[in-house]
Amino acid sequence: MKNKQCSKVDASLAIYLFRNKSKQTSVKVLSLVLILGLCFTILYPILSLVPVVFSSVEDLGNPNVIWIPQEFSTVSFKMATRLVMPQGIMSMLKSVLYAAFIMVLQVFFSAMVGYSLARVKFWGRGVVFGMVILVFLLPRQSLLLAQYISFVHFDVLGIMDLFTAAGEINLINNPIVLVLLAVFGFGVNQSLFIFLFSQFFKNIPKELEEASLIDGCGFYKTYFRIMLPNAIPIISTVGILSFVWNYGDTYYTNYFNPNGEYMSTLLSSTFVSANKEFILNALTNWYDVPVTSDMAFDAVKQAGVLIFLIPLLIVYLIGQRRLVENMENSGLVG
Amino acid sequence: MNKSRKKLSFRTMWKIHGLIFASPFIIGFVAFFLVPLVQTIYYSLNKVGVADQGGMSFEWNGIQNYIDLFRTEVTTGNQTMIRLFTEENLTMLISLPMIVVFSLFMALLANQKFRGRAVVRLLFFLPIILGIDVVIDMLAVTAGNTSLDTGSNLLAGSYVTIFLVRTLNVPMRILYPIMTYVENIFELISQAGVQTLVYLTALQSISPSLYEVAKMEGATAYETFWKVTIPSIMNITFFVVIYTIVDLFLKSSIAEEAYAFAFSQGKIGVGSALSVVYILNVILVLAVAALLLRKVVKKNEK
Repeated sequence: MKNKQCSKVDASLAIYLFRNKSKQTSVKVLSLVLILGLCFTILYPILSLVPVVFSSVEDLGNPNVIWIPQEFSTVSFKMATRLVMPQGIMSMLKSVLYAAFIMVLQVFFSAMVGYSLARVKFWGRGVVFGMVILVFLLPRQSLLLAQYISFVHFDVLGIMDLFTAAGEINLINNPIVLVLLAVFGFGVNQSLFIFLFSQFFKNIPKELEEASLIDGCGFYKTYFRIMLPNAIPIISTVGILSFVWNYGDTYYTNYFNPNGEYMSTLLSSTFVSANKEFILNALTNWYDVPVTSDMAFDAVKQAGVLIFLIPLLIVYLIGQRRLVENMENSGLVG
Repeated sequence: MNKSRKKLSFRTMWKIHGLIFASPFIIGFVAFFLVPLVQTIYYSLNKVGVADQGGMSFEWNGIQNYIDLFRTEVTTGNQTMIRLFTEENLTMLISLPMIVVFSLFMALLANQKFRGRAVVRLLFFLPIILGIDVVIDMLAVTAGNTSLDTGSNLLAGSYVTIFLVRTLNVPMRILYPIMTYVENIFELISQAGVQTLVYLTALQSISPSLYEVAKMEGATAYETFWKVTIPSIMNITFFVVIYTIVDLFLKSSIAEEAYAFAFSQGKIGVGSALSVVYILNVILVLAVAALLLRKVVKKNEK
């Protein structure tokens, strides 16, 4: 009698456990399928470029060719290199160095502003913080016209009278504009960076500052010796974002330095549909391609994107592992 | 006496140093934000022309520029202004919830424990790079060749679709909008990079003891999600929504229109009026979003 009951309990327990386990497994499988699907969706556009870029131009319209090109060729790649990197590898280097330089400026000055907003109760701190938020909220394009005009007739408090006859200088197409914007806190998304820095510095324990003061450090020594080294996580996060956004920026470079030959602007200005005929003709003349079609234009364009993405991917691969950990320490959350 | 004075001056010095640190931004704010803002409003109320001796001439015009903007002017794409604004705001209305929910979804997936998590995260944040405007523009296809399509016409020709249409008799009218959304999923993902990152860090900062308590009390996974996870990330949702709105407005084509008005057609006044209307539009959308969210956040904090 007792034994029977026992086995009954055992059976129901087994059913319960089996149900539980199968439920868990099915949830796991489902989420794995979703994750794999999403990964595929993210990678698909890049993966689908590869066969297009590396197949010979004649093969492009061929319905029999989907993934593995019949004839391997690098014509579209060469063509794109010639168009996007007019000075060879120097062009890419120039763009990377530009982005890195602006990144350093942005990080340096945003960190300073962020630190003083978080840690120093100076007069009008609330107002300055409000200003940072306001700049973040209003899209940069809305003030483009006035900014543009003020750079065309650049003049600070009339001191340009001393240097030029006209009393003003035209700063458009002068890279100095981009440097000025980064220094004074108006580079790409810089108000966001200032906000991130101030959130981070708010969470650093006060004792650090006090200890360094007692040890006889002044304001600047405290900042550069104690606070900055402690801010490495947020510096690297902001650094990665800043590099990526500056390298890919077409807004500031396009309007304020259109002749600057940055890869991003070259890419967006070369591959407009108005240039299609020119590029297809060039393809025929330079590389002896007998037949060209619209697809050849796309292939060259996408080869250009691949070239453009190389430095970004390298930076991303090096930096991404720390990105999540660092964001956690950034103080944005909680 | 002497001591207290010294202390005071130390505090004052500290504040002065702080002000020096913040000064680049304050100068920048005046030079690149406040002055341009005032100028934009001023230009928009004037007829701006070129003076005889060079430089610009102004002629008071009242709100004529604004009237022109909506009555007579058209965009470079030959649309009326009011349609341009409606379209931008509608896109915003549709994309915003999708991006926010989708980034939360991706973050939830990436937050699970499974083998190969590092690789999946590597891929999940790739949209931070792929979402750059140039890349998106360049990946788009001009020739209309399906094999090159970023939106991937995978679904339209797939067995799933054929099965739904042939066997289950699902009408095309219902299927079509769903298909367009699914096919544009890459666009959606590409705009959700930073948001996913923020959500993931928020999820990781939720204290594990909360989940433990929920489990002890016998809450199901569903209940745990709504009673623990969602309230914990409500604050960060506020940030994510605002960030998404700002990001979506950044991608709008208003800048090109204003630039075209000012420098291709020589109508600086009209271009400035467009900018002012645009600023008002952004402020309005942000205010509505903030008000709505405030309520939801407060309700969840209780």
